[in-house]
Amino acid sequence: MISDPLTVITIVPLAVSLVLLILPKISGSAEGLARASRAISMGVALAMLAITTMIFFGEIGNVDWTDYNSGYSLTNDAFALIPSIGVQWKVGADALSFPMIWLTTLLIPISMLVEWDAKKGHLFHPLILMMEGALIGVFVSLDMFVFYAFWELTLVPMFFLIMVWGGDDRKYASMKFFIYTFTASVIMLIGILVMYFYTPDVASSGTITGHTFDMSVMIASSDYIPSEGLRHLVWLLLLIGFATKMPSVPVHTWLPDAHVQAPTAGSMLLAGVMLKMGAYGFLRIAVSAFPNSTVAFIPLLIFLGMASLVYGAWVCMGQTNLKRMVAYSSVSHMGLIFLGIATMQPLGIAGALFMMFAHGIISPLLFAVAGAFKHHYHTLEIGSMRGIAHHSPWLAAHMMLGWMASLGLPLLAGFVAEVTILIAFWMSFGWLVLLPTLTLIITAVYYLTSMQKTIFESNDPHHGILPDTLHGEEPRDISWHENSGMIILGALTILFGILPFIFWDMMSEWSSGFLIETLVDAMQSEGVKP
Amino acid sequence: MNSIGQLSLDSDTASSMMPELIMILGLIAIVLVPNLGDAKFRLPLTSIRVPVLLGGSRFDLTNDPRLPNRISNLTFSLALLSSLLLISESPKEVGGILMVDGFSRLFSTMFLGALLLVSIATTHRLPAKTNAQVPKESDSENVFDRKISILIDNRRQVDFYILLIMVGLGMTMMTMATNLFMLIVCIELASLSTYVLVAFHKEGPSGGEAGAKYFIVGSVASAIGIYGMSLLYLWSGSLDLEILRQNWLSMDGVDPFAAFGIGMMLVAFGFKVSAAPFHLAAPDAYSGAASQVSGLLATASKAMGFLALFRVLVMITVPEGSEAIWMIALSIFAIVTMTWGNLAALTSENPKRILAYSSVAHAGYMLAAIAVVGSGISGTGQSSIILTAVSFHLFVLVLFKLGAFLVLTLLETEGKGHKIEHLHGLGRREPLIAGSMFLFVLSLAGVPPLSGFLSKLLMINGIVSTSASTGSSSSADVISWAESVDPLFWLAAAIVLNSALSLFYYLRIGLVMFFEEPSTEKPLKAAPSLRMAIFACALLTVLCGIGPVSEWLLGTVSTAIDSFMYQ
Repeated sequence: MISDPLTVITIVPLAVSLVLLILPKISGSAEGLARASRAISMGVALAMLAITTMIFFGEIGNVDWTDYNSGYSLTNDAFALIPSIGVQWKVGADALSFPMIWLTTLLIPISMLVEWDAKKGHLFHPLILMMEGALIGVFVSLDMFVFYAFWELTLVPMFFLIMVWGGDDRKYASMKFFIYTFTASVIMLIGILVMYFYTPDVASSGTITGHTFDMSVMIASSDYIPSEGLRHLVWLLLLIGFATKMPSVPVHTWLPDAHVQAPTAGSMLLAGVMLKMGAYGFLRIAVSAFPNSTVAFIPLLIFLGMASLVYGAWVCMGQTNLKRMVAYSSVSHMGLIFLGIATMQPLGIAGALFMMFAHGIISPLLFAVAGAFKHHYHTLEIGSMRGIAHHSPWLAAHMMLGWMASLGLPLLAGFVAEVTILIAFWMSFGWLVLLPTLTLIITAVYYLTSMQKTIFESNDPHHGILPDTLHGEEPRDISWHENSGMIILGALTILFGILPFIFWDMMSEWSSGFLIETLVDAMQSEGVKP
Repeated sequence: MNSIGQLSLDSDTASSMMPELIMILGLIAIVLVPNLGDAKFRLPLTSIRVPVLLGGSRFDLTNDPRLPNRISNLTFSLALLSSLLLISESPKEVGGILMVDGFSRLFSTMFLGALLLVSIATTHRLPAKTNAQVPKESDSENVFDRKISILIDNRRQVDFYILLIMVGLGMTMMTMATNLFMLIVCIELASLSTYVLVAFHKEGPSGGEAGAKYFIVGSVASAIGIYGMSLLYLWSGSLDLEILRQNWLSMDGVDPFAAFGIGMMLVAFGFKVSAAPFHLAAPDAYSGAASQVSGLLATASKAMGFLALFRVLVMITVPEGSEAIWMIALSIFAIVTMTWGNLAALTSENPKRILAYSSVAHAGYMLAAIAVVGSGISGTGQSSIILTAVSFHLFVLVLFKLGAFLVLTLLETEGKGHKIEHLHGLGRREPLIAGSMFLFVLSLAGVPPLSGFLSKLLMINGIVSTSASTGSSSSADVISWAESVDPLFWLAAAIVLNSALSLFYYLRIGLVMFFEEPSTEKPLKAAPSLRMAIFACALLTVLCGIGPVSEWLLGTVSTAIDSFMYQ
């Protein structure tokens, strides 16, 4: 039907958003323009969702995602972008990237829907559309140069979303966000360049440098890098780039600021997809290219994962700001991904993948709730408002579902990921599993106390306590577009909690295949038992 | 052969020298046309008027203050076009001292492109007279008329464009010189004109000072270079580059005359490319000159210096398979230059100075690449890749370095642009201009996928592929590997570290443009052709980094360098 769907879903959003951004006022009034650009953006986003959903159901491409050995699917005929240094437009997807691609195309229209009434000109929705193209570009490109270019490109729309539509302290937050992640990715670039300079000299490749940015060639030729030490160094450089994006303690400090100041849709995409770019890149590049270094640095991964998990959860307990709390809980959950990878078990890696996916549905719900709370109660302080179940029953219901999912209640999506990672962790490291498990209790503590403070507890069961910021007005329940977005996310949380195998099968196949292909040799040579 | 032969202008020579002929015609036109109809002919660059006893007052058309600019734009456009068409022509020798080939035409295309951009940018930049003011309604009739007559005086324009075309002539001729004497003369023709252009910034107090400084330091450097040239003449008895090369290769040991001669020429060219420690006049000159002239200095004038280095260092003094005598010195100069440039730019508060120091740093990157050519461990293939990278970098610098200076030119039309505060809030006042500026600084920093990244990657690649293979592959840790690798590898590491360092001040420009509050919300002057030039630079900055345009350019540069290396 569509011969090259991945190129389409990358280029079309970018092209449409650029047209919408650059074209001056098409229709007469500013309001008409805003409405038109919003409708066009939504239309494109829904079309992209339709394409990826059809890919999932086999209508396009007829891909069997559970087959690891078939490699990348939906690839195109690579054509050179900069032949002289070996840069190609080459796309493809496998079970590692496809759930992320589908998640991106799902979250984009939902986040547009949740902020359907964004003000300040007509650029909000086109920027989100641009974000879609950049994010999908990161997940589909099989050329390291293009990957890096998209990786940087994601910063641009997010930066403007925070800077223009953010909260009171948006300048500081967007600047910190930009500098932090930009610096980290420059460090990552150095690692990529070292890998590039050691790709084998292919005389017929037509490059004048004799090297190529082709991702599979770069990954396969990492053995040409002389000396173990240099390989470890490159791996660490890559890790810095990816861990900052994830983010992992100690390079996480940009995240709470960015989240608190970002507009709701920005937060949803930031937590939902952008953080996953870190884990994706880590698995796709760092682990694939340097399995020996990964195995050698398992203790570091465990330390980083554990630190993020425990520190994130611990800090959550002290937060009074709703968005800050959710942001730190993201840090905490991202720690689990490192732990899952560090187990070196198919189950653990699959759990990490499912965590990426599940957190990509749950955290947007949490941020949508926090955004709606801010929107209607004009505050994010947890204690200032009590008993919203009375005033905003829908909001309270979504809040409760989201928090339950985040703390890992069985039959919700988060539970599947957490429990598999913990089982794999127990198999690999034995009683060390107590630490992450106990941390989940902390998670439960902070969610339950804030739930009690916000949703239920009040002196007068019929009125609750309204925050001062409302100035005595009666709060309303959330609007239709916020509500429908949250309903979709909530429904998916339940769906993937009950029927995780929809994506679990392909993830688990990919993990065992990946482990056998890449990591087993490395584990044997490093003396780690598989 | 080595005597300056008779230059006869047959049609074949004329067609291969077309750009130069067009510029000479343009020069004549720009002197004559604005005087047409006037009874007094003004001698260019002076206020002396010679009565010609014909006519009365000038025609309306020749009186038009925009006329010289149009003639200059037309001249440079035609010259650029003809130069572009000549790139693939077969080599042709002219008069025994010039060689028109793909290599020289490639560089002359670049020079003419830069000059065309400068010429277009000057349209809105140069007031007709230093004291020109826009007349107000309230002025008395007398004052009003006088102000109008000042405004429409086009003769100051004439002087500027005469100098610009002279720069063009000097630069394009120097690309073709096969004789050291001719090379120096052409460089001096271009340089002397740039000294005056720097001082042409009469609206501010700093212009004259900058021009004087630049002139004094520049002429001392030239004098040293010419002294070096005379030493080479004493040693070799000829200044023909080919003969010099043969003499150098057949020399036993190193003749002190030859070594001193080359060393002194290195000083002169080091000044041209603003390499440390000969760069000290450059920031003053750049910040004192009008921005588009600073852009010219930072791109075309610098490229001229590098071309001279190609001719003298690479062509004459690189022995095959062993180390050139200047290799160590040039490596040290390179590292000092890039580090000094970046550190100084970090602390600067004047965007013109920041760009000037960044230009110093870029000279350092390119010198590092050239040093590797002289190392003796790079084969001819690798050397030609490195020289391709340097030439390509010089090419794309014209786009983003000159582009950045053009943005400052736009600010300067309001008398601003010499303080970082003037960039504050540009993102809100002029989103497209600020976006272009951001693109330029990112490209200067070398962020993919812009052209600055491509050229820098090619240079680093040249250095790394030459040197990294020398490292031991059996060493287990980074330290022992680092000890085993050839010292040249550290040039690549220095470039990478310096690029990271430079990000701070490049990003700072972006930050103040988008974050600080502007002092006024008013947009800048309309200046359509200047804006067009900026947008063209921005577009080409992207296109030369990715896609078919970059491929074509790189292919052309590579072919030209091959013809230079294997001639």
